Amino acid sequence: MDTSAASKPQYALSAGLGLNIEEIQARFGCSQDLVVKEMSFGSIDIALVYIEGLVDTYVLNQSIIAALLSDDKRSADAPSGNLLFFLKEDVLSVGDIGLLKEMDSLFDSVLSGDVVLLADGYAEALHIGAAGWEDRNVSEPTSQTVVRGPMEAFTENLRTNTALIRRKIKDPRLWLEGRQIGTVTKTNVAVMYMKQIAQESLVQEVFSRLDQIRIDSILESGYIEEFIQDKTLTPFPTVYNSERPDTIAAGLLEGKVAIVIDGTPFVLLVPALFVQFFQSAEDYYQRADVSTLLRMMRFMAFFITMLSPSLYIAVTTFHQEMLPTNLLINLAAQREGVPFPAFVEALLMEVTFEILREAGVRMPKTVGQAVSIVGTLVIGQSAVEAGIVSAVMVIIVAITAISSFVIPAAGMSISVRMIRFILMGLAASFGLIGILVGMLLLIIHLSCLRSFGVPYLSSLSPFHGRDQKDTLFRLPWPRMTTRPMSTAKENLWRQPRTSKPKPKT
Amino acid sequence: MRRGFRLCVCLLLLTLVTGCWNRRELNELGIQMGTAIDKIGDEYQVAVQVVVPGEVSARLNSGRSPVTLYKASAPTIFEAFRKLTETSPRKIYSAHIRVLIIGESLAKEGIGTTLDLLSRNPEARTDYYVMVSRGMAEEVLKVMTSLEKIPAHNLFYSLDTASKTWAPTTTVTMDEVILQLVTEGLNPVLPGVDVFGNSVMGDSKSNVDKIENDAWLQTAGLAVFDKDKLVGWLNENDSKGYNYIRNNVKSTVGHLKCPEGGLLALETLRTDTDIKVSFEQGEPVILLRIINESNIGEVECKIDIKKPETIVWIEREIETKLRQLLQQTIQKVKSKYNVDIFGFGQAVYKKDPKAWKKLKADWKERFPRLQVNYDIDITIRRTGTTNNSFENNIKE
Repeated sequence: MDTSAASKPQYALSAGLGLNIEEIQARFGCSQDLVVKEMSFGSIDIALVYIEGLVDTYVLNQSIIAALLSDDKRSADAPSGNLLFFLKEDVLSVGDIGLLKEMDSLFDSVLSGDVVLLADGYAEALHIGAAGWEDRNVSEPTSQTVVRGPMEAFTENLRTNTALIRRKIKDPRLWLEGRQIGTVTKTNVAVMYMKQIAQESLVQEVFSRLDQIRIDSILESGYIEEFIQDKTLTPFPTVYNSERPDTIAAGLLEGKVAIVIDGTPFVLLVPALFVQFFQSAEDYYQRADVSTLLRMMRFMAFFITMLSPSLYIAVTTFHQEMLPTNLLINLAAQREGVPFPAFVEALLMEVTFEILREAGVRMPKTVGQAVSIVGTLVIGQSAVEAGIVSAVMVIIVAITAISSFVIPAAGMSISVRMIRFILMGLAASFGLIGILVGMLLLIIHLSCLRSFGVPYLSSLSPFHGRDQKDTLFRLPWPRMTTRPMSTAKENLWRQPRTSKPKPKT
Repeated sequence: MRRGFRLCVCLLLLTLVTGCWNRRELNELGIQMGTAIDKIGDEYQVAVQVVVPGEVSARLNSGRSPVTLYKASAPTIFEAFRKLTETSPRKIYSAHIRVLIIGESLAKEGIGTTLDLLSRNPEARTDYYVMVSRGMAEEVLKVMTSLEKIPAHNLFYSLDTASKTWAPTTTVTMDEVILQLVTEGLNPVLPGVDVFGNSVMGDSKSNVDKIENDAWLQTAGLAVFDKDKLVGWLNENDSKGYNYIRNNVKSTVGHLKCPEGGLLALETLRTDTDIKVSFEQGEPVILLRIINESNIGEVECKIDIKKPETIVWIEREIETKLRQLLQQTIQKVKSKYNVDIFGFGQAVYKKDPKAWKKLKADWKERFPRLQVNYDIDITIRRTGTTNNSFENNIKE
């Protein structure tokens, strides 16, 4: 057969069973996991085609093979009409059954775990949903842990993930629409949103951006994220991701759109706002005052991570007059004999820390422990004792590092760590003026960013008074009466205004 | 896109063009803590006390002197400062200067020109203390001190603490000196400082090896200036009077003689002085209004302080004593120096600028016969944690 014909998308099945099987085996290159089980039903030859490992053997054996072989069905008066209809209606005890006519859709079905039933003399086939493969169980989230709150995380299975969300929101208005993206991987992508809460234009925008993707493969949500984000040239993440079903459900209820991608536990949520990256799921589960304090601390940590090395460089090399005298003498004493300028010293330590961090993440868990011990010893003590760096620099690096881990979203903490190096360079060249200019540029950049048309800094700039209750502060739940202006303008009210419960007197 | 990238690269390269202009590493700085300026012949001699950071820090201490002294002489102070680099390996960094000590001989010639450079220098803040040494200013910077490792710090803090708790002492910062110099009807007064004990031993580490140091620094009265020239010194009592009039006293301790012998010490908690001016037949009359709140701090005599009459008596006694003190001080300054250091002229100017214009020309003649009245209001607040002294009940 002609190879150009094989690449044609619409290639009909032939009526001959043998021909079809040959064709299938040729296209799969006789892969060993492709199983073609030939049998007969009554007088007609049939064949089951599936991929071993993708189908649930229990379903295959009990509901398909056993049904086909059972005597009472076989002896029942041979199908006078369409055999495939007869099998579909009367024999097979599986819910998801359908007809297909093209070779390509047959491949799609087989590759997504269906069992395809071919019958001699029919140019059609039945695809029988029997998908079932080894899966990771729903387990505790690893990247966004909480002390109080649900302890379940998404898995690699799309259906499990959408079910996890549905279990949180029992409302028919939670709509789910699927797409297959990736010309080769054909990855299932589900877009979920709350009809009537999410703005129609936003949902349309998400679909139009998804539909523009023409890549061959989607292996993780990061692929999609980079395709659909508004602006590529920015260190800040403009798409939120989470492995926590409660976080995603909360986002949906605020009128955001979730994009669930098969094969990854990370679900995307758009639009993403700057402040969102400083909010943890736990903020909403513990007392409002505690959450508010913690949020403020996170913003503080954000600035510490971003600024502390550069401030140290700027103040010690340009603005020594700003330090209290005793501190200056103390710092000067520590710097005696240090061979590098403060900038090089800071750079050295910060880079070392980044290397250690990366090593700690990539190393197998058992080795990671060793890496961190060696790292602390080398950095914390030997470097200072050898006089290569000053002790205060180690303190600065440590504070920077710890603060960067306080930011709940990994994406944001990485961007801050990147910006930190630029600010350090500016501080080394221009001192505090450099830092100031750097910060101004940063603010300008942040104000220019948009995530799916929503200003990135929203609720701070543009300022929405109502949304302040869940931006820097978190008001108690009875006071959280409205949804965010930026995403749920049309369906703002979350609950009626209520008064505090009082004991009857 | 390509153009944007190029622009970014150009901007990044531009940051390198600065060559880290004005950048100074901490270990390239000679942190100057104190300055002493003397005049030797026609040349100014500048001596600076520079910190040896390693020796000050507790961890790196190797037992050498915590500070070092560099000095140089030149016709102008600025030149002398620069000439310091002949001996100093690091550029002298003056932003953290704590004290400026002016030699007595230089002070007699006039401090105006000296202060010009220091007030012009953008590096240093003008919040350091200025004082006059009783001898060569340089000597003051050559005394090792024990509690504060850096002698300039020691001087700064001892002056600072004393001025808050002891009436004869006051502090004058650089900007205040300049203000006092340019204010009409006011002449500057600077605290004096001197090396006591065996000054030859002072600059060696052995000075602080003993419990009682061989040489130590101490404040020594107040230096009276006529415009910018030193004309004389006030003793302890006069200094106290001066500080009361200038409202420099924050808290202090004084004593009274009891009627039956023995002494009674009082702690001043709050005191506030107001100089009021009125005119009698065109002549200005000064009224010093002092409101003072005190506690009884020590009773060394037989006196029944439980009685309200006693308290009234004490209040009246203090009032008299304070009036005498002020009178003595003013009289002495009038007769001995004839310099308006109290700012009476300034008070007149504030009250009536036009009158001051006429009076200003012969203020020097008017000042000695200026009438000063007193309105002193003393309140005793508390008697400490007890009333009558247990001394009265000691068994015989």
